[in-house]
Amino acid sequence: MNTQYLACRLTLALLYIPLSLIGITSQAADYPLKPITLAIPFGAGGSHDLNARIFTKVIPKYLNQPVILKMMPGAAGQKGTSAVVRAKPDGYTLLFTDNYHDQLQKYIEYLPYDTSEELITVARTNYAPVSILVSADSPYQSLQDLLDYAKENPGMLSLAHSGNWGAQFVPLLRILLDAEAHMTFIPYKGGGPAKQALLSGDVDVGTAFPSVALPLVKAGIVRMLASAGDTRLLPDVPTFTELGFDDDLGLMQRIVLAPRDIPAEHLEILRSAFSKLEFDDEYQGLMKQIGANTEYLNGSEYEKLRQVQSQRFQALVNNMSADSDNE
Amino acid sequence: MWDSFVQGIGLALSFGTLLMMAIGLFLGIFVGALPGFSTVMAMAILLPISFFLDPLMGIPFLIGVYKGGIFGGCIPAILVSMPGTGASVATTFDGPALTRKKQSRKAMEMALYSSTIGDLTSDVITILAIGPIALLAMQIGPPELAAVILVSLLIIAVTTSEDLLKGLLMMVLGMFLAMIGTDPLGGMSRFTFGVFELKSGIPLLPMLIGVYALPEILLATEHKLKTVGDRITSIGERLTLNELKRCMRTIMRSTGIGTVVGMIPGVGQVVAAFMGYAAAKNASKHPETFGKGELEGVAAAEAANNAVNGPTLVPLMTLGIPGDNVTAILLGAFVAQGLRPGPQLISDQGPLVFAILIAMVVANFLFLAIGYAVIPLFAKVVTIRRAMLLPLTVVLAFAGSYIYRSDPNDLIILVCFGAFGYIARKVKMNVTPMVMGFILGPILEYSFGQTMSMSKGDLAGFIIFDRPISASILVLAPVLIYYLHSRTNSLRKVYVNKDEQNA
Repeated sequence: MNTQYLACRLTLALLYIPLSLIGITSQAADYPLKPITLAIPFGAGGSHDLNARIFTKVIPKYLNQPVILKMMPGAAGQKGTSAVVRAKPDGYTLLFTDNYHDQLQKYIEYLPYDTSEELITVARTNYAPVSILVSADSPYQSLQDLLDYAKENPGMLSLAHSGNWGAQFVPLLRILLDAEAHMTFIPYKGGGPAKQALLSGDVDVGTAFPSVALPLVKAGIVRMLASAGDTRLLPDVPTFTELGFDDDLGLMQRIVLAPRDIPAEHLEILRSAFSKLEFDDEYQGLMKQIGANTEYLNGSEYEKLRQVQSQRFQALVNNMSADSDNE
Repeated sequence: MWDSFVQGIGLALSFGTLLMMAIGLFLGIFVGALPGFSTVMAMAILLPISFFLDPLMGIPFLIGVYKGGIFGGCIPAILVSMPGTGASVATTFDGPALTRKKQSRKAMEMALYSSTIGDLTSDVITILAIGPIALLAMQIGPPELAAVILVSLLIIAVTTSEDLLKGLLMMVLGMFLAMIGTDPLGGMSRFTFGVFELKSGIPLLPMLIGVYALPEILLATEHKLKTVGDRITSIGERLTLNELKRCMRTIMRSTGIGTVVGMIPGVGQVVAAFMGYAAAKNASKHPETFGKGELEGVAAAEAANNAVNGPTLVPLMTLGIPGDNVTAILLGAFVAQGLRPGPQLISDQGPLVFAILIAMVVANFLFLAIGYAVIPLFAKVVTIRRAMLLPLTVVLAFAGSYIYRSDPNDLIILVCFGAFGYIARKVKMNVTPMVMGFILGPILEYSFGQTMSMSKGDLAGFIIFDRPISASILVLAPVLIYYLHSRTNSLRKVYVNKDEQNA
């Protein structure tokens, strides 16, 4: 490795520290005048953390202020969410969450806030499609095989997911309800342990996002039976839609929200800053490195999707409770 | 494999790798020494820096932060009895007592040497046995984890307290406190009485600082009102070679314990440090000195918690499965560098993987040098006048508790646990079983819940026929507990006799 190149990268890396703290505060505008806080209601080191580290590194270019991350895990995301709901709606406190915590949770338990009433979308930064996996030596060659068996032998198959009512639980529940099949759901603490359960044979069926699933499929250890989204993840694996399932719940949407009473012009500034990420080479490059897509959707578009999703989640939860009442 | 290994040595010993690792270690020690800033937080904040670097600089940089952070945690534990994480709880048994005896420098040097030896040995074992460790890690599912945690809890209850009943009582209290909040399996609220703030449960850090640091401050002001203006003028003597030699057996035993614990995903440093300490006390010819400023006690805890580091990386490297938050961040760093941890990593990127593992070994030597240089700096803290140091410690306790989650309610929790810890001291109740129950209870609950789901209704049959490892742990447990209990009892007699002789 030549030393000049090395020195150059080192300097760049070290420069990042003060730069990220100070930001580039040359332009004058009435918003933002100070750093913006982005609360993440999940733990450090998760996919939201990783995604946010990347866009908060790039976005000061367009906002002229740094964005500071604040990890606020606890109570299944409710702690961070409620902090943003209660924050002053001045555009200096934002939330980075996902569609399940935003719209599904309120149908499952009592929350002291209503996210639809109190938060508005700044941007959907990207999404991740879930996929269904079985181990490579499993007898099930297609989703239909799997569902047929689960229907004939209710509860005999076990399925690992990343937590109740989470991004891997909901789409699978939806599909099983549609197919009138039944499996034993076993929760794991996040996608990593759930993946280990599949690999070690503790469970029969697993679920995963592309960054985890694709390397395992390529290594020939697991077989992907189906995936969410409009396009196929792998050329020979069908999507849920192709198989006749409503796939809309299988995408984990990563979204930035602001308190709904935020001044309209501030929301506009934020939305336009996020929209510029789409054309930012640095952002695109870094996101590619972590294996995440950059399917940006602007705030007002996502607001429409958000309502549709909310109704579907509600229907799912009602359906589920009706189902358990019959048993 | 061998070729990869040789190439790896060359890659790992480049200037850039060493430099970034040293910077990482340095930052890690400082962040680890600040209560409230966890190693995980430091790594998450510094992660983007690694994106700009070559994989062989970025990843060793983060590994440096990780190792430095875990060592850094022992500094406030020794100096002001403030454990920043569960991993340094066992260090507070003897560390602060040594500080009171004006031996804080010795204690920190002992922590440094035993951490380094523990870490180095476990890293070497990890490199030599990466395949078998990966296979073993795969055998550990929720049923095995539940059995291991159950046995660990029992061992802790038996060995920590003078009185088994008191120990169990405190442990059950800790497990109950951990149940407050959102139930981890079903997501329902428990014992919150509709109070939203309680939904996220009681945070660990304010509890740790509350029960360990605040009573220490209160007792200091109470006993030493007359001496409050005093100051210690020197930072204490250095550790001698003889003292280190005396502790070598303990260090090696703890290293073995830590390495084995590290191979079991999900158990972690807390249990390792504790087991190391209990084993050292058990094997010692003078167990009565433990808890009253015994250098061996510091060595036992620190060697064990650092020995966990090596094996925990194995599931990450070989399967891409992060065992805890720290390895989850490392996974992020790997992916960002275009490396996909998983079954193909070693065959695709062999030299690089070995370079990273070798860099871990080399990091220990850098760590020794950097630690050696910064210890006198931290040791200076004890030379601050008590009248200044005690209020400063209070500030640190409150700031640390707040920073952890940025939630003002945590300060109320801190004060409550401070009062509780003070009363517990006065009535001679040991708070450690409570803290351990609090930390391990949720892991036990979760893995037990998973086991119940997996068993599909037939728990006994499932454990006996499908999970032989779990079944054998559970069968051996009563034997071990009985042995430990009678041993602790006989030690207590020795202990009482010696006290009588002294009196």
